[in-house]
Amino acid sequence: MSDQVGVKEAGADQQVEQPSPQSNIVELRNLHTYFFTDLGVARALNGVTYDIPREKVLGIVGESGCGKSVTALSIMNLIQPPGRIVKGEVMLHRRDADGATTDVRLTDLNRHSIQMRRIRGNEIAMIFQEPMTSLNPVYTIGDQISEAFMLHQGVDREEARRRSINILDRVGMPYADTVVDQYPHQLSGGMRQRAMIAMGLSCAPSLLIADEPTTALDVTTEAQILDVMRGLQSDIGMSIMFITHDLGVIAQMADEVVVMYLGRVAEQAPVDSIFYDPLHPYTRALLRSIPRVGRGTKERLKPIRGVVPNPYSNITGCPFHPRCDEFMADVCDVNVPGITMTDDGRAVRCFLYSDRVEKNG
Amino acid sequence: MISYIIRRLGYMLITLVFVTIVGFFIIELPPGSYLEFHIQSLRQQGGDVTPDQIQALERRYGLGDPVHIRFYKWISGFPRGDFGQSFQHQRPVGELIWSRLGYTLLISVATLIVSWGIAILVGVYSATHRYTIPDYLITVLQFIGLAIPNFLLALVLMIFLQQTFGMRVGVLFSREFRDAPFSIAKMIDLLSNIWVPIVILGVAGTAWTSRVMRANLLDVLNMQYVQTARAKGIHERKVIWKHAVRNALHPLVMTLGMALPGIISGEVVVSTVLNLPTSGPLFFQALIQQDMYLAGTFLVFFAVALLVGNLLADIMLAGLDPRIQYR
Amino acid sequence: MVETSAETIAADAGEEISEVGEIPQSKLIWMRFSRNKLALIGGVGLIIMYIIVGLGPFIASNYYRHQNQDYLFGPPTPLTFIGPDGRLGLQPYTFEFSTRLDPESFKFVFDIDRDTRVPLELFVRGDPYSMLGFIESDIHLLGIEGEQRFYPLGTDALGRDVFARLLIGGQVSLTVGLVGVALTIILGSVMGTISGYFGGLVDDVMQRVIELILSFPTVPLWAALAAALPPISRDFTAVHRFFLITVILSLVNWTGLARQLRGKVMGYAESDFVMAALASGASDARIIFVHMMPNASSHIIVVAALAIPGMILGETALSFLGLGILPPAVSWGSMLTQAQAVPVVVEHPWLMTPGIAVVLAVLFYSFLGDALRDAADPYSI
Ligand SMILES: Nc1ncnc2c1ncn2[C@@H]1O[C@H](COP(=O)(O)OP(=O)(O)OP(=O)(O)O)[C@@H](O)[C@H]1O
Ligand SMILES: [Mg+2]
Repeated sequence: MSDQVGVKEAGADQQVEQPSPQSNIVELRNLHTYFFTDLGVARALNGVTYDIPREKVLGIVGESGCGKSVTALSIMNLIQPPGRIVKGEVMLHRRDADGATTDVRLTDLNRHSIQMRRIRGNEIAMIFQEPMTSLNPVYTIGDQISEAFMLHQGVDREEARRRSINILDRVGMPYADTVVDQYPHQLSGGMRQRAMIAMGLSCAPSLLIADEPTTALDVTTEAQILDVMRGLQSDIGMSIMFITHDLGVIAQMADEVVVMYLGRVAEQAPVDSIFYDPLHPYTRALLRSIPRVGRGTKERLKPIRGVVPNPYSNITGCPFHPRCDEFMADVCDVNVPGITMTDDGRAVRCFLYSDRVEKNG
Repeated sequence: MISYIIRRLGYMLITLVFVTIVGFFIIELPPGSYLEFHIQSLRQQGGDVTPDQIQALERRYGLGDPVHIRFYKWISGFPRGDFGQSFQHQRPVGELIWSRLGYTLLISVATLIVSWGIAILVGVYSATHRYTIPDYLITVLQFIGLAIPNFLLALVLMIFLQQTFGMRVGVLFSREFRDAPFSIAKMIDLLSNIWVPIVILGVAGTAWTSRVMRANLLDVLNMQYVQTARAKGIHERKVIWKHAVRNALHPLVMTLGMALPGIISGEVVVSTVLNLPTSGPLFFQALIQQDMYLAGTFLVFFAVALLVGNLLADIMLAGLDPRIQYR
Repeated sequence: MVETSAETIAADAGEEISEVGEIPQSKLIWMRFSRNKLALIGGVGLIIMYIIVGLGPFIASNYYRHQNQDYLFGPPTPLTFIGPDGRLGLQPYTFEFSTRLDPESFKFVFDIDRDTRVPLELFVRGDPYSMLGFIESDIHLLGIEGEQRFYPLGTDALGRDVFARLLIGGQVSLTVGLVGVALTIILGSVMGTISGYFGGLVDDVMQRVIELILSFPTVPLWAALAAALPPISRDFTAVHRFFLITVILSLVNWTGLARQLRGKVMGYAESDFVMAALASGASDARIIFVHMMPNASSHIIVVAALAIPGMILGETALSFLGLGILPPAVSWGSMLTQAQAVPVVVEHPWLMTPGIAVVLAVLFYSFLGDALRDAADPYSI
């Protein structure tokens, strides 16, 4: 792993030929994103490290405020001042048509640069948390989807509109040719989210970041949207980074799962391992806090003790230790645990599995 | 849309009726009758006023009539352009006010356009450069711009222009153009004079509008759809101007209804200080002399200007925002 | 926009996170407010202004209506800290001067004798005055023993002390805002609450009335109403006029508050605490005064603070045009009437000092109002 991280480049564009085909499309290494607000520094991300596998669905779970959205925005290089990526890197492994890969270190690109803008919406697309507010109220759906086509594919307005109707059709938008000329306020929440997905998919990105795309929707609509996303994922052959609170959705959608806690990854593992053999005490606590089929009705649901500390606080040691059932005094509250790789390729940050200490936390 | 405008016009007409009632109320308000004041001034001019003359005057202004008849007499003249008689000037009010109202409107509208143009640029700049020195500087200037009374600014600018450039402030046209027919040269002459009141009036308007614009834009920049636009890979400049500013303009247009009274108020005061041939000097003079038909008519027309301005703002808003329903 | 959430503030103040929900709204507002530096400047500036103005008769060296016929349009008294012995010290001195009429220009000429120094002294006896309604005295903070008088800001056309008038005028100008806002709050909250609470016809009528008032530009409407006030006489004193002028100023201002409160109250009408109160049989008055008003109070305070600068500017403009405060009373605006003609101001620039006072007062109040608004409602304009 370290040989990928440590790649040194000389070119101004930070692009380098990579000999072996990459199984990951994006890799995050020790990512730190802070917000320098009037009230102090909010350490939203404190060394996030994980991989987004190619052509798979990676689920990201964690309580509210643990930094899921900030991670997504950091990948897109869309963190706005007073926020800033202060440390770490985001690596995009781009694969050309002939299978050769080039690496782009996104964290080295200026967020306004042309290189970064060519990647956004084109190679990496993003769907936001709230369908109600993520479309611009004063432009029609067609205008907003066309914008991406015209920008990245250089087509004229006419053609962009045709492609917009086409993509709306593909995401299952009813009456696509009417809807293109409608304004967001004329659509239901589900339709808006479909429009957002259409916008995200418009340029056939290799990675789609979906930030809680269904949280605001009712269960039926949610199921339909998830269906569409799953279908398109295998059609286009893209990767999806799927952020959610909902472990049920994770079970349905994800191939691999990253569990985040307070700006760090607690655990990354294949979806089955997460549900049947969780390693991190936080993952276990999370699983205990939701109802599950096949568990005895006598067994009570158990909310996790306490609340997520706010990102301004400075907890020493493992960020989860104040709430942890397996807390080991003088260990967990002193050092930050490092990443332990298990034999079956899972990653966990906990002193239960090794005494590796984070050096640069 | 058309029916929406017609309905709005209907409401406007009703408000207008009430506006004239208020105007008439103000005409009737001063203690003692305006006739007494008039007779007094006639006597002061050396003339002797006989009881016959007084009676003739009373009959002419219908002083013997009850209030509603007098009100009716006054407004029934409106369609004919008859707004009563100015005692002080011994001329019909209608003859006195038109050109002055016209210049007041000209100055007000020009101020509005200029100050909005500048304010939008300034507001966008300071919202996109938050926490920088220029932004703090702009904020300070905005506070000061709002704190200086416009008549004071008029005085200071007037003194400054006269002392440093020997410019004659207080006219709209130079002497040679005053009675000349319309021509390009006359327009240029007007422009070379009219910028003074526009600058004075524009200071407060610009300060206020740019603050509103800054706050609106900051709100909009926090909206998800701005991030959506960025996530599409659109250039930041286009994100700001196409996606954010467009949305930040609505609340601004909504405040048009509040900005206009301020500007007209300011125009009336500033033109009094500068002694411009607009409504201001005549209006205040009329108030002090209790020449109430003149003052009341001015007031009604100020209100008409505001009502029309609000109507235009509403129509503009409807054109700007697809969410507005024509109820 | 998470910065100002309850949690972050609590954490910053070093409190336990579990107590987050228990910080009362008013405390939060106060915490945000007290962080604001502009608010501090505004607050301190205003306190100083009110103190100086309140102690005006004592601080000024002369009675504000005393006319010095020998010193019309007199410039500010020159000061030096170089004593008769030629040394720099802490004791300020002025010079002896004499007045003569220039036979050509028919203007007074002031000859200053730079060689004869007159010391400026503390607690000097001078014109008698009464202050704050109960202090009778003739001791002034600064002054000159003997015939000569001390004019830090010169004199006006009638030879009156501009500095003294500035302080006395400030009493009026700085009170207009407060009294006007008190009236605005009373009118606005009563009307707004009634309108929002009862709705229906009452609300309709109220809304039309407000629309009607708002369809006139403010200053002309104020001026027209002020012009109808009777002239000052024994029965209608300057105080009456002052009060009525503030009534006129608040006549327009209450509409804004009423509209906003109406919206608030309509929102509250559906809220849980009002439902609960209704269910337990509380009277309308009780619901309004016990349940709704306290909830809207932060809002009322903010609107009030933001309205004060407009009131001060309104009074100043009216008085400047000769329709507001009239002699013998004095306000900053009425003082500026003397500064209307360009030649006068150019020759006697000290006549403009009330303008500076107005700008400062308005500035301080806007700092305060802005900070209050930001604190009470960080998400609005
Ligand atoms: N613009 C910002 N300014 C200051 N702090 C921020 C900002 N954006 C995010 N944060 C901080 O970063 C932390 C992580 O936020 P993030 O939005 O990533 O949470 P999340 O995991 O997406 O939560 P949710 O499930 O509620 O969406 C938050 O606690 C927040 O305090
Ligand atoms: Mg989120």
